[in-house]
Amino acid sequence: MRSARYLVAFLGSFAILLAACSGGQQPSGGGASPSTSVMATPGGTMTFALEDQPINMDPLLSNAFIDRNIHYQIYDSLVRIDSSGKIIPWLATTWDFASDGKAVTFHLRTDVKYADGETFDGASVKWNIDRYRTTTGSQRSGELASVDSVDVVDASTVRFNLKSVFAPLLANLVDRSGMMLSRKSVEAGGTDFTRKPSKAGSGPFVLTEFVQNDHMTLEKNPSYWLKDKDGSQLPYLDKVIVKPITDGTVRLTNVRTGDAQIMNNIPGKDVASLKTDSTLVYQQKEAYQFNSMIPNEAAGYVFADRRYVKAVSMTIDRQQILDTIAFGVGAVGYGTIAPSHFAFDPTFKPYAKADPDAAKALIAQIGAPLQFELLIVSGDPVQLQEAQLIKAQLEKAGITMDITQLQFAQILDLQNKHTFKGMTLIGWSGRIDPDGNTYDWVYTGRPNNAESYSNKQVDQLLDHSRATTDQEQRKSDFQKAQQIFVVDDPAAVWFGFGVSQLLYTPKLKGMDIYPDRLVRFATAWLQK
Amino acid sequence: MGQYILRRLLLMIPVAFLVSVVVFVLIHLSPGDPVAIFAGGEVQDPVVIAAVRQQYGLDQPLPAQYVIWLEHALQGDFGRSLRTRQPVLEAITERLPKTLELGGAALLLSIVIALVVGTIAAVRRNSVVDLVATGVTIAGVSLPNFYLGIVLILVFGLVFRVFPPGGYSDFATDPFENLKRLVLPAITLASASTALNLRQVRSSLLDVLSQEYLRTARAKGLRERTIVMRHAWKNALIPVVTIFGLQVGAILEGAIITETIFFWPGVGRLAVDSINGRDYPVVQGIVLLSALSYMASTLVVDVLYAWLDPRISYRSRSA
Repeated sequence: MRSARYLVAFLGSFAILLAACSGGQQPSGGGASPSTSVMATPGGTMTFALEDQPINMDPLLSNAFIDRNIHYQIYDSLVRIDSSGKIIPWLATTWDFASDGKAVTFHLRTDVKYADGETFDGASVKWNIDRYRTTTGSQRSGELASVDSVDVVDASTVRFNLKSVFAPLLANLVDRSGMMLSRKSVEAGGTDFTRKPSKAGSGPFVLTEFVQNDHMTLEKNPSYWLKDKDGSQLPYLDKVIVKPITDGTVRLTNVRTGDAQIMNNIPGKDVASLKTDSTLVYQQKEAYQFNSMIPNEAAGYVFADRRYVKAVSMTIDRQQILDTIAFGVGAVGYGTIAPSHFAFDPTFKPYAKADPDAAKALIAQIGAPLQFELLIVSGDPVQLQEAQLIKAQLEKAGITMDITQLQFAQILDLQNKHTFKGMTLIGWSGRIDPDGNTYDWVYTGRPNNAESYSNKQVDQLLDHSRATTDQEQRKSDFQKAQQIFVVDDPAAVWFGFGVSQLLYTPKLKGMDIYPDRLVRFATAWLQK
Repeated sequence: MGQYILRRLLLMIPVAFLVSVVVFVLIHLSPGDPVAIFAGGEVQDPVVIAAVRQQYGLDQPLPAQYVIWLEHALQGDFGRSLRTRQPVLEAITERLPKTLELGGAALLLSIVIALVVGTIAAVRRNSVVDLVATGVTIAGVSLPNFYLGIVLILVFGLVFRVFPPGGYSDFATDPFENLKRLVLPAITLASASTALNLRQVRSSLLDVLSQEYLRTARAKGLRERTIVMRHAWKNALIPVVTIFGLQVGAILEGAIITETIFFWPGVGRLAVDSINGRDYPVVQGIVLLSALSYMASTLVVDVLYAWLDPRISYRSRSA
């Protein structure tokens, strides 16, 4: 009997010991978090299921968001952002602004070569920036409009001479406007440079294959300059194969079956289940992207009286739109300044609760009921659902909204000509600096100001925000401007911000997520 | 027959010309500036857009643009894609074999199933095979392509892991992988046409089987198999061949949705992207190719008629 009791006690202790060893260390819910404590294993091939087909590999001409996912693997910029959105040194190690703010001197890395063997130096920076500024048809000329000239001080120093102080310059240089390419490879590529493999970049990977609508192959750049904390050469991966898969369900299936190891842009309906799926890792971060309804405020159109815009803004239930359409993935928003922006004000919630009664009273003051047309892109069931929800919400305030579906090309045409009758549903991929989310959208006469909005005070505040590098001053300028163009004299109806998303196999390590919704694979590695 | 074929081939030229004019006018009349479209939401600077339009010759009057296009086309240069700058001919020829592979596999599947099952359904009318065939026909035309495709991916790609969930692999590199990836998209693409063809074979054969000359054949003691295969089939296939011929011509359009779901890099996907993006040169090239394929397939159908039915002749009558 005594021996039986001892046996039970022993077995019980053993069971408890087993449970402690096996259960305690396992990650909960959404699987393993990105681990950096384990030694990275170099080598391997990873497949990335990307949401759309990249088109243009030349930052000079590229104007699709999707292209940037490849650019960031093959090119380096003068500066970059870290995963919190802070601008950090990259090809430029330090920079000094002149006392009057009209010049900035960059000190460059001296250990960088392009994949074709050419040296990165001051002359290369000048060539690239001048190319972006002055080439006919350059999509970067607007972003570098403040740059008057570039001087090569020496091989590792360049000075940008500015026409005026321009605070968002560094933010613009993070992206395509600051990407450095080898002149030799660009000129050798000619017209086909935009779509053929080349060794023009100095980034962690080299584009070796580009088959439209099929795949792109990125191979490790053996002469990449960046090393990890232990001094090991980056990148770890030998190869990344990029497959454009437009359907979200098919993209997810590819990751589940292991045909792809990572994907972006996860369908909202799947996020809740993926967060608790221990076979995959889901990461999410607030992004710069915003969603909005853009009214036509030109004379002769119903929204020329901006009180109507305010009535719409007061009525819609932003939380319901987020929960119903996006399955809660994202954040409610009221303006252009995203939660990841330095100028974000978490207390700015002018329409925290939908108030159709107040909207009704406002419309009664105006004296005529509101009926307008909302243009949405045809063939997009999510947008249609969103429009239908908004329509139902507006009915509570007695506002009649008619939904019209047109092709994207037609909507763009009407917007550019400022002849659309009511509103359109528009999103913006977002930019690092709040200026990139705001200036072109609400400043008088700017290209993305489809609403024909004009407010002198807003213009002055935004000009002032550009003319100073004092972050606190800029923050104040943006917030004051936002108060005007969202509440006092509304330009549009902003209702939400998007998120960056990544979904990947737990074997993939070293993946950080960024608020610009772009991927970076330099530090990624596959656990064997 | 030779003269007839030559005449038909020569007729393709004015038809192709007419198609090119109509397509050119239609796509340029549809609203949307291609330069503004592929700027999308990124850059809408009117100065940049105007410069790009000039670079691509889009600021020229429409007749001038057409004449320039035609001049180059007659020399085999169909221009470059406005979006990707890839030569149109290269863009199409790169993708065409993949579309032909997918379309060909789907057609073959469709024809084989339609002929076999349709024949059995007609010969054994109201049997289990006939009822199942009818059910499949209804399902095939009712289920949308995109839905069927996704269901097949989820069931066979994810649950049973029998086939890959889409994508393409070059036959020359790995034939087995290529064929494995072909199965699900071919079934998806074949579903609607199989239903249609099966129904046509069945009803056509039923009609022929009730004819007097076959009653005579039975009275003479011929076996049913001989009656069907040797005497009934050829006549029953005449209307069926018409439909098959049209489906051959329609391969390009039919593959659009399937290629998108299965991210198959064919001409169909290119067509969708190009139409949405108002990529004029590419749309022009694809529509011209589509028109030529229709003309070629109807010519083949007409020649097959003569083989199937000796009463049909294309010789011109003498005075």
